[in-house]
Amino acid sequence: MTHDTIVIGAGLAGLTAALRLADEGQRVLVVARGVGSTHLAPATIDVLGFADEGVESPERALQQFTDAHPSHPYARLSAELIAAGIDWFKARLPAFGYRGGLEENVLLPTAVGVAKPSAVVPETMARGDLRAGGRFVFVGLKGLKDFYPAYLAENLGRVSAVSARAIEVAPPLGGEADVGSLGFARRFEEPAFWDAVVGELAGQLGPDERVGFPAVLGIRNAGEVWRELETRLERSVFEVATLPPSVSGIRLFEAMTDALRQAGGRILIGSPVVGTETENGRVEGVVAQAAARPTTHRARSFVLASGGLAAGGIHVDSYGKIREAVFDLALSGLPAANGRPPFLPTYLEEHPLDRVGVPVDDLLRPTDADGRPQYVNLHAAGATIAGAVPWREASGNGLSLATGYAAAEAILKGHE
Amino acid sequence: MAALETEVLVIGGGSTGVGVARDAAMRGFETVLVERRDLADGTTGRYHGLLHSGGRYAVKDPEAARECIVENLILRRIASDCIEDSGGLFVATPWDDPAFGDAFLEGCRASGVPVEEIAPSEALRREPRLHPEISRAFTVPDGALDPWKLVWSCARSAQEHGARILLYHRVVGLERDGNRVSGAVVSDELTGEELRIHADVVVNAAGAWAGEIAESAGCRVNVVPGKGIMIAMNHRLVHTVLNRCKPPADGDILVPIRTVCVIGTTDMRVVHPDELEVTQPEVDQMLDEGEKLVPGFREARALRVWIGARPLFSPEEVEDTREVSRSHALLDHRTRDGVDGFVTITGGKTTTFRLMAEAAVDAVCAQLGVERPCRTQEEPLPDSEDGRYYELGSRLRAREPVPQSEEIICECELVTRSRLEEAMKRRRTANLDDLRRTLRLGMGPCQGGFCIYRATGILHAVERLDHDAANAALLSFLQERWKGVHPVLYGDQLRQARLDDWIFQGLLGVQHLPT
Repeated sequence: MTHDTIVIGAGLAGLTAALRLADEGQRVLVVARGVGSTHLAPATIDVLGFADEGVESPERALQQFTDAHPSHPYARLSAELIAAGIDWFKARLPAFGYRGGLEENVLLPTAVGVAKPSAVVPETMARGDLRAGGRFVFVGLKGLKDFYPAYLAENLGRVSAVSARAIEVAPPLGGEADVGSLGFARRFEEPAFWDAVVGELAGQLGPDERVGFPAVLGIRNAGEVWRELETRLERSVFEVATLPPSVSGIRLFEAMTDALRQAGGRILIGSPVVGTETENGRVEGVVAQAAARPTTHRARSFVLASGGLAAGGIHVDSYGKIREAVFDLALSGLPAANGRPPFLPTYLEEHPLDRVGVPVDDLLRPTDADGRPQYVNLHAAGATIAGAVPWREASGNGLSLATGYAAAEAILKGHE
Repeated sequence: MAALETEVLVIGGGSTGVGVARDAAMRGFETVLVERRDLADGTTGRYHGLLHSGGRYAVKDPEAARECIVENLILRRIASDCIEDSGGLFVATPWDDPAFGDAFLEGCRASGVPVEEIAPSEALRREPRLHPEISRAFTVPDGALDPWKLVWSCARSAQEHGARILLYHRVVGLERDGNRVSGAVVSDELTGEELRIHADVVVNAAGAWAGEIAESAGCRVNVVPGKGIMIAMNHRLVHTVLNRCKPPADGDILVPIRTVCVIGTTDMRVVHPDELEVTQPEVDQMLDEGEKLVPGFREARALRVWIGARPLFSPEEVEDTREVSRSHALLDHRTRDGVDGFVTITGGKTTTFRLMAEAAVDAVCAQLGVERPCRTQEEPLPDSEDGRYYELGSRLRAREPVPQSEEIICECELVTRSRLEEAMKRRRTANLDDLRRTLRLGMGPCQGGFCIYRATGILHAVERLDHDAANAALLSFLQERWKGVHPVLYGDQLRQARLDDWIFQGLLGVQHLPT
């Protein structure tokens, strides 16, 4: 069977491109080695949080930012396209109640109590916005080793106009001591469990305090759990993202893959691409590992969303040789000269290898050294693209969403 | 300035220093040990963890080989909990002259190192990852020696015998009273306060730093720091210590220890033991030598690289540090320099630390004109009383029957919350790297990616640290870790490191922490 588009990679970038194309009636196949960034990163859409300093409005900052970084993926995209991607995303996943946009960043507390800028946030996190100040209480759960509210609150107290404190509750865990984020998320889906949490908190909360929980308030019905907690506690409630596995990101993965299947898309997880078929400057097919034997899948268009160094989309061997893992595409952002050393001695600075990736044209097609597309029907999205340091810029999901959406738009225009 | 008096002052908290402190305390001397940082922070904690059988020195340095096998057998008795009885193999790879095996056999027999030649097929049966074209193989009683466990056991035993151990106390200078050393002024590195320690005898066990210490007493001790690089690989690629059967050279030992295996090492003269840097050619050399022992070595994940500075004592200036004897040097400065109350013990290696301590305390007895016999070869260290060797998987064995009884904070090394909290209280340290060495916290594949945020939160609660101190602990751990990982980032370990970047910088935003 021939598909219209095959997407390689099931992170936010790949799923965005796939869902957008499937919505337009394309026959879409997603092949991926495993689940992607969604299981590691929170479900907030951070478009641009830090340039030279903290960014208050991505809309106002983007032009100057791309002028300063002409090789950044955002420099390939118009502001209108980035905004359209966000509008589509918010409307397509109504259950998340996403708030915000490019106009202004909110500031959400991280699990160490840093105020982190974010553009679009799910409703379960939105009331953590620190910009207006106020009184916050953070709730620790005994048995959850991935959240330390006292440490968080003490650091956060340094942000002006915010007062923060911590409480620990110990709801019954059925004799288990090491439950983890996912274990708590499953428990929070049971009314009896959050009822116990509410019971413990009764009488301990100040009248105007906003109540922060670790982001473990259910997987499939988080919106419902969050609303119930707000109602029962009679206070604003919000989630704080913490260590992987990311419960909020898993919700996003579940919602997007459900939507994709309903729109007729196919998803093969656990099916790494091990070969490619190319001819006359076009990609004809990819060979993906399957249970019985490698299988060739063909399509008119392809989206490479296999990720960067973290996901293995870009691979470095022990000799320092750097390679795009699927098509062996040309790379940019390589460290100078013979390429080594790729890292500097101080951890918290930008390293020579950080921006490595695939250079792309305005249709997000990977280009060769002369700036020409390597394959006319291959587009890239997400962390595969060169030029960004998203973990420093607070731009990860924003880049994935914008480039995934833009790749889909480019394909839709090309297929007209 | 505060002052205290003691009979014996030991300088240096490596294996030799704690060995001296334990020996002296067991012989009834009032003893104080000072260490500028944490125990085993110098050379002891930066070696590959090989319990030498003596085979390595059998051809070239029979005296060192003899010492090794004698001490190897003693340590198996007194420090069994610090030892994994992995056994050792010397193998001739296609790059090695098979004829060296004859000299090796002869050298081992002459030095008393138990040795047996086995068929290459038998060696491959025992270690299937070995290079398939080895031409000869010999078994010897090498083992793996956990340096942190060893040093801490010795320190505990020394304390049980009344010794005081002062960590983070740096020697500012030794004090002279005429022709004798009368003690030292030390600086508490955590408070900045100075302390004068009067001692009847000062034992300089500062290893590669012994020359500097001696100089402050006006004595010249020529210690040549020999730089050695080691790389820990993510897996136990082998379960037996592997040695190349050839004259000792670089990258010819692979030691399986705890959850990893360590390849080493190099030997290069350096100017100062505090100024050691890993270079890319050294890393490549280790990986290439690893390929010769275990084909596919470069495909495995390299976790971390570090360098140690061997203290090689040399009466003369030397160029090639491998030419210096691995036997230790005991310098009684009364007979050597006419300076009373001062003994230097340096050179040697961790395998012979007990013997070195015995020699040093014998010299102390001579200086003080008393005769008290050494008992360290008889009395087991704490936790080694039952004579059982450490086994890989012992932590898992302890956890498996009760998987949900408490939280596991470091999943890679199975460090539980209670163990961590207990160590934090006992150690009185806010330094997460000290806890890493004590518990192996963050030593596994994720290199602290998950457990260090947790440990910081727990440290903040247990030690009642304010946020500034907790933030500093977190950030300094990340920097210290980076030092060891960035020269060997490739393959899947680079993916892991980038995930850690996402956690610390992307998710938590530690670079924006108020400090």
